[in-house]
Amino acid sequence: MKEKLLKNNTLIIFLLLLIGSSLVSDSFLSGNNLQNLLRQVAPIGLVSIGMFLVILTGGIDLSVGSILAFIGVAFAILSYEVYFAAAIAIVLLLGIGIGAISGYLVAYQRMAPFIATLALMTIVRGAGFLASKGAPISVGEHSAAIMYLGTGSIFGIPVSALLFFGLFIAVFVLLKYHVVGRHIIAIGSNEEAVRLSGISVERTKCLVYIISGFLTALAALMVVGRTGVGSPNIGIGMELDAIAAVVIGGTSLAGGRGSVFFTLLGVFILGMIGNIMNLLDVTAYLQQLIKGIIIILAVLFQKRSI
Amino acid sequence: MPMLKLRHIKKYFAGVKALEDVNLEVTSGEIHALLGENGAGKSTLMKVISGAHLADEGEIIFENKPLLKTSPSISKSLGISIIYQEFSLVEDLSVAENIYLGKGSSMKWLNWNHINKSAEVLLHSLGFQINVRQKVAKLSIAEQQIVEIAKALSSDVKLLILDEPSAVLGTAELAKLFVLLRSLRDRGVAIIYISHHLDELLELTDRITVLKDGRSVETVFTKDISKDDLVTLMIGRSISQMYPQKRYTALDGKQIQINNLQTVMSVEPISLILNKGEILGIGGLVGAGRTEILDSLFGNYNNRAEIIIDNKKMVLRHPKGMIEGGWGMVPEDRKRLGGILPMSIKENISLTNLGKISNRWGFINLRKEKEIVLQLIQKLQIKIGSMDDPLASLSGGNQQKVILAKWLNVAPQVLLVDEPTRGVDVGARAEIYTIIQELADQGVYILMVSSDMDELMGLSDRIVIVRKGQLIGELQKSDFSEEIILRMALGAN
Repeated sequence: MKEKLLKNNTLIIFLLLLIGSSLVSDSFLSGNNLQNLLRQVAPIGLVSIGMFLVILTGGIDLSVGSILAFIGVAFAILSYEVYFAAAIAIVLLLGIGIGAISGYLVAYQRMAPFIATLALMTIVRGAGFLASKGAPISVGEHSAAIMYLGTGSIFGIPVSALLFFGLFIAVFVLLKYHVVGRHIIAIGSNEEAVRLSGISVERTKCLVYIISGFLTALAALMVVGRTGVGSPNIGIGMELDAIAAVVIGGTSLAGGRGSVFFTLLGVFILGMIGNIMNLLDVTAYLQQLIKGIIIILAVLFQKRSI
Repeated sequence: MPMLKLRHIKKYFAGVKALEDVNLEVTSGEIHALLGENGAGKSTLMKVISGAHLADEGEIIFENKPLLKTSPSISKSLGISIIYQEFSLVEDLSVAENIYLGKGSSMKWLNWNHINKSAEVLLHSLGFQINVRQKVAKLSIAEQQIVEIAKALSSDVKLLILDEPSAVLGTAELAKLFVLLRSLRDRGVAIIYISHHLDELLELTDRITVLKDGRSVETVFTKDISKDDLVTLMIGRSISQMYPQKRYTALDGKQIQINNLQTVMSVEPISLILNKGEILGIGGLVGAGRTEILDSLFGNYNNRAEIIIDNKKMVLRHPKGMIEGGWGMVPEDRKRLGGILPMSIKENISLTNLGKISNRWGFINLRKEKEIVLQLIQKLQIKIGSMDDPLASLSGGNQQKVILAKWLNVAPQVLLVDEPTRGVDVGARAEIYTIIQELADQGVYILMVSSDMDELMGLSDRIVIVRKGQLIGELQKSDFSEEIILRMALGAN
């Protein structure tokens, strides 16, 4: 493991960014900013972990950004209709359900993941606009707990970040110690050989899309908790950020190879880039440009080491 | 005057020697065999000749000129063509497209009629009939091999190198290949032929160079040497020790009856009987429908077959169901279907058995996994560095043992084995035979497909012969003869 860490340039990139950021801006290492950073990365982090699992099986999930918006809208609407716990349960199930549709299409109908989730991305985005009539909906009064998820902290660490770290560890354990994790990695390497080994490839593939949908729904709750509104416009392009985080983390888009730990670093690398540029007052347009360049550099830098 | 001369070639990889001192002379108009166990350095040597690797020391002289710089494109322009074990065909392109891939100017419009025609003519001149408009993915492995050779011959070739061409060919295809190679030789082409099959080398080649541990041990004239001498040169072991002692006496008379089996190839349903403790061999030409029988039995083809084990009926289902019913299959295509190359040796072996080493929440007991895998590795004498190394890091023979270990891990009742020693060197072959024989002795029903006549007759207790998807004959051990099997397979009784 030690060797692996040293060999992998993702860690070096992460450290360079960390050191560089604290040098160019005094406020980067301030408690306030770090809290901010953690709150920003938690939702995209959850989505990226789901994306990572999907990519491990050789798939891709383009629908996550739309799911994020739709779930936010759905929660905001439900917050006026039902008890808040019921609203949470319903939207998490909705996330699972949307993931299950993608999974069903990919695994059982053998649709190309890109196509299936592209369709879902469009459908779910449309559903979000329909349900909200195109405008953001603020969350009802009784949703203090969801605000706690978005803005609260324990011992100075944001609750959303704690949840993110917890799920990161869960996925780490899943991949290392669990039968399903083993199956996910194996399928990404050689699906046919796995099938001939008596493993239900379909079920496992379906499952990763369900996990992705679930984690995205959870991320949506964090966003709603932070902003207090469910907006049909958010999350556009989020799938690309998640893919970028996974790729910066060194995961092969062909599947079978990758580490959730480095995906975590990838999430932080992207998060820090955004954060430091905000601190330096870089305009949003320029930010995008720089972000793209850094993604290219990060991946090039990584290729060297392999 | 030799066409190709190698002198004192040395090649190191990160300090590890792959070639220590290789001398080789190949003259035009000869078929020169390169023989050696896996790991002896044959593949590295071929890559040095073809320019894929640079030699660290030594000289390569081609047509009297020393090659100072080498690269695959330089070799190609000199007329050196190499056909690797792993095909370099693009599966989604047609046969003709593959043959002419990379030839001609890229700026010109393609004349499909012309390309298809000349591909057809080329294949026909080689004595094969393959629909050139068909996608390569739809061809059998043997046919792909033929396309690969045609591709090499479509440009001007002076030196043709074939790496284990026969591994995937059946007897009839092999005979055709030999005719083809001989006619190329007579036209003055120099051919280097790499194979583990001694019979082939003795039949086909003019001279044989034996490689061992990165050194060229000796070059001999084929007509002056016997099979036994060759084996001794290679490994210092005699061939009579290759096949295990047979002990088969129908174990408690138990059988598996298979009735009404349909395969992709069969017109009429097939019936088979497997006896407990017996190795049943399936013989026939490549493409006769042998693999398809195993495939169907393993649940890969919709079927109404009836399987009766010890008077109990079993339903044929998908592979998962078959494995749960105690069946296992070692497929023909080890790299694509058998193992998961980038995964570790440990994970490959335990893949079939994760259910048994995990608790009810699905968490794997890593210590138990290690224990079980270690036991199997020792039992099958698999030579590994660490069980956490990727499967791809092993030689063909050891990879095949890992696949066998993976199935032993589920203690199968029936094991279907397809070409168990394809691309496996002589030493490991004998060990794999012993493993299979031991399984049969322990009461595992074994059904084996093999294109290697020695192997088929040496290991089987009974042989059924397949032709055009149907079973057309059966031979008991006492009646085994290469001629009879071949006649049946060809339909020339």
